[in-house]
Amino acid sequence: MVNVLLITFLMTLFYIAIANRILTFIRVLAVQGVLLFFVVLFQLEEINTFNLILILMETIFFKSIAVPLFLAYIIKRNKITREAEPYLPNFVSLIITTSIVVATILLTNAIKDSALDKIFFIVALSSLFTGLYFIITRRKIVTHIMGYLVIENGVFVLSLAVGTEMTHLVNVGIMLDIFVSVLVLGIFVNRIGNTFEEMSVDNLTNLKD
Amino acid sequence: MFTYYIIFAILLAIGSFFNRNILLRKIMLVAFLLLQTGIAVYGFLNLHKTEMEFFTYDSLGIIFLCVLTILSYTTIYHSYIYLQHRKDNTRNQSLYFFALILLIISMTCVYLANHLGVLWVFIEATTLSVAVLIYHERTQLSLEATWKYVFICSIGITFAFVGIIFLSKGLQGSGSSSLILADIPAHLKNANVFWLKLAFIFMLVGFSTKMGLFPMHTIAVDAHTVAPPPISAFISTTLMNVGFISIFRTYSLMAGTSIQPWMNSILLWCGLLSIFVSVVYILKVNHLKRMFAYSSLEHMGLAAIGIATGGIGYFAAIFHMVLHSFVKASVFYQIDQIHRVFHTYILSKTGNYFSKNITGAIVMLILLISITAMPPSGLFVSEFLIFRSMFEAHQIMALLFILVLFTLVMWALGKNILKMLFVPSSHPIETKEPLKIRPIESVSQFVLLAGAIYLGLNPPAQLVNLINESIMLLPK
Amino acid sequence: MLSLLLILIAAAFFSGIIVRTKSIASGRKGPGVFQPIKDVIRLFKKGAVYSETTSIIFRIAPTIYFASVVMAILVIPFDESKGIISFKGDFIFFAYVLALGKFFNIIAAMDTGSSFEGMGASREALFSMFAEPAFFILMGSLALLTGHTSFQEIFYSLHVGSYISYAITTLATFVLIMITMIENSRMPIDDPKTHLELTMVHEVMILDNSGFDLGLILTTGYLKFAMYGALIVNLFIGMVPYQYSIPMFFIIQFIIAVVVGLIESFMARFRMGHNAQYIFALTSVSLLIFFGVLLVLEKFV
Repeated sequence: MVNVLLITFLMTLFYIAIANRILTFIRVLAVQGVLLFFVVLFQLEEINTFNLILILMETIFFKSIAVPLFLAYIIKRNKITREAEPYLPNFVSLIITTSIVVATILLTNAIKDSALDKIFFIVALSSLFTGLYFIITRRKIVTHIMGYLVIENGVFVLSLAVGTEMTHLVNVGIMLDIFVSVLVLGIFVNRIGNTFEEMSVDNLTNLKD
Repeated sequence: MFTYYIIFAILLAIGSFFNRNILLRKIMLVAFLLLQTGIAVYGFLNLHKTEMEFFTYDSLGIIFLCVLTILSYTTIYHSYIYLQHRKDNTRNQSLYFFALILLIISMTCVYLANHLGVLWVFIEATTLSVAVLIYHERTQLSLEATWKYVFICSIGITFAFVGIIFLSKGLQGSGSSSLILADIPAHLKNANVFWLKLAFIFMLVGFSTKMGLFPMHTIAVDAHTVAPPPISAFISTTLMNVGFISIFRTYSLMAGTSIQPWMNSILLWCGLLSIFVSVVYILKVNHLKRMFAYSSLEHMGLAAIGIATGGIGYFAAIFHMVLHSFVKASVFYQIDQIHRVFHTYILSKTGNYFSKNITGAIVMLILLISITAMPPSGLFVSEFLIFRSMFEAHQIMALLFILVLFTLVMWALGKNILKMLFVPSSHPIETKEPLKIRPIESVSQFVLLAGAIYLGLNPPAQLVNLINESIMLLPK
Repeated sequence: MLSLLLILIAAAFFSGIIVRTKSIASGRKGPGVFQPIKDVIRLFKKGAVYSETTSIIFRIAPTIYFASVVMAILVIPFDESKGIISFKGDFIFFAYVLALGKFFNIIAAMDTGSSFEGMGASREALFSMFAEPAFFILMGSLALLTGHTSFQEIFYSLHVGSYISYAITTLATFVLIMITMIENSRMPIDDPKTHLELTMVHEVMILDNSGFDLGLILTTGYLKFAMYGALIVNLFIGMVPYQYSIPMFFIIQFIIAVVVGLIESFMARFRMGHNAQYIFALTSVSLLIFFGVLLVLEKFV
């Protein structure tokens, strides 16, 4: 079942690659949050209340509700046009995303470590690199945040793959940090929206030698 | 003690966020400085004590904590002067000191953290708090720089987290899941080399956003450009120390494994490229703060090479970071005065500084000697030690390459600074009568520079012991 | 033998059901289910008119196109009965026989010298080119999963067991339906009802065909639909006894036809420039199927 969820997660990456509208991005991010929730739920060996609340907070509340709503608010407030406006056509994006997935599959296949849950590893690495790719090729600043969130989701899957036992305190700290950084990024997007007419990274090229 | 420190410091931060009274603000800042001094002294007296499970007063942390404490005094003092002259409204001033106190707290936590996860959490905290400070001037440029800084640092830090995950994967091979720094090296002996290499690369890239090493150096340079000068001083010194300490800890974790030669060559290349890039830009740059930002990049590159070559290089790298902190901090405090005199950072519009602010000009002259590591500057000693370690590591070609580059840096910095000091500007900006700078504002720089020279020529036994203790675990 | 019969029967209804669904969905009374067949019969009674600029290719192309699809139908199995032709690797034969027919269709369109038809031909060639890897990766994955290389054996031994094979079957169905739509030039990719030559893909290629040839091409289209439908049916039925599988065949074909009709009623056509990426997405998805198969086979853990 977990495998099915993870393969669906990979499909959402393809979907982002060909999505035209920013709102679609946001929805896909929300869906990814739900998928991750179920993945963690199935991975959990023992369900106690504290763990459950933590996971709920981390995936459903944070990834699927709070952040998408916040992003939608930013888009509405700054009157950002709905088209995603990538530098490269979606077709090229799709090909590159696909080749990223294939490359990670090949890479993972080359690893000789029997203790590794490879499908997690593939999904994590693919979304890490796909997120980076989205950041590089999108012109809008909001889509950069979305790329960052895709990377965060990848890291989340990766930490599941390794099964790291971080202390709860550290876990909460990490969650809080990411949440605050998204918030701060959002605030700065608002500032940029107030300062410049158009929210595009082309405005942010004044600092150079 | 550490619990009290955290609680009271955060209370002071919150207090200064809501406080609008000038006198009360001064009292709170002094209280915070005393608290910071308290934790540094307490830590120094209680070496190796662990508090709150995740924080240990280990020798490396204490060295940089002491540097931070000393620089907190000067930075808060100069921030106060800076804000007074900008005539900012009191709300912005409150926000400034709130963020500054949070920044100092989170840097303290990074230095003392003994758990990789905690280290990570507080590094991200430094990014967020320093963002507020970089954006203090509220201009388009500062917006751009802040956005880049926060965004790329966040991504970099995420990469560092991926590195930590890989490291714990490597640890699992030997049946351990603890990420306490002291526990890790013992379990890495027979870990899978592949994971260790991945972990090191990711962590190096991630932490070098903080240290400002080559692939990620641009954001730190941009941040220097727009931040208030006292904050530039922090970005260039204590924040870079944060990056350094993280990379150094990562390196010492894996130094006992078979990938050490590989790590050395990566760090060596990182350092060489950093120095090369910094020199290329120093030669053409026309912005005072960017010039010194690139100079920081150059010194960070040198410190990375110091780690890479090993032997006496470990000692020299830490020593270099300490001395560089003192010198570079005074550079940026002085730049604040220069800006108040000329109302610009553009080098070609400045000139004849000697006739306008003689104390500051003398400081600048000493700074030139110190930053280019001419004797009797303390940096001369540490750079000399690094060169010696390179020589011993048979990196003659790299050494020659660096020496040539350093000559160029010396020429470029000397040309620009001496021109600013003595030659009248060809296109001066004649605005209102420049402010008289009180000589007392330069006292802090004299003290820091004298300290750097003293430490370099006659390092006290305590400092040497602390450094030696922190590199004890590394292979000779 | 059985599959040929079933497909012929289904082909007779298929287009009619689509048309009927569309008319009901849009609130019209619409033509009867047999109207498409009646149209074809009417066309068969007529002679053909050929342009003077065309060569022999234009005349033989519709016949070859028709023949290729019939050949392709011959390899399709049903339940326990093999197709009339069945050998190892017949799915490759299937794909390339269809490609041969399409090739003749394309060069016939070029043969007329009409600029519109050339444009349509190039679009059709592009879309098929992108759909082809998807089909092969899909069939290859299924072959890998079952360890057999002919249609009949693949479908016969396709067990639906674990969660992951449910996922694979779902994805495979999705990919096959999309390929059906592309190969038949139906809605999200191409709009058969469009009246503007510039936006046509398949329709513009057959502008010059008339009478008997046109009837042949239309018949081929119906057959093709039923053929792909039969493939999808095969994906589900495995080795159910005949008394269940034959009704299931018709029910599934009916559902597919209704779905196609609904898609055509409620979806707008993709923008022409975006078609390539949607078709390529199929390849990406079938790569995921391949990956899932590797997981099932535990070649990968």
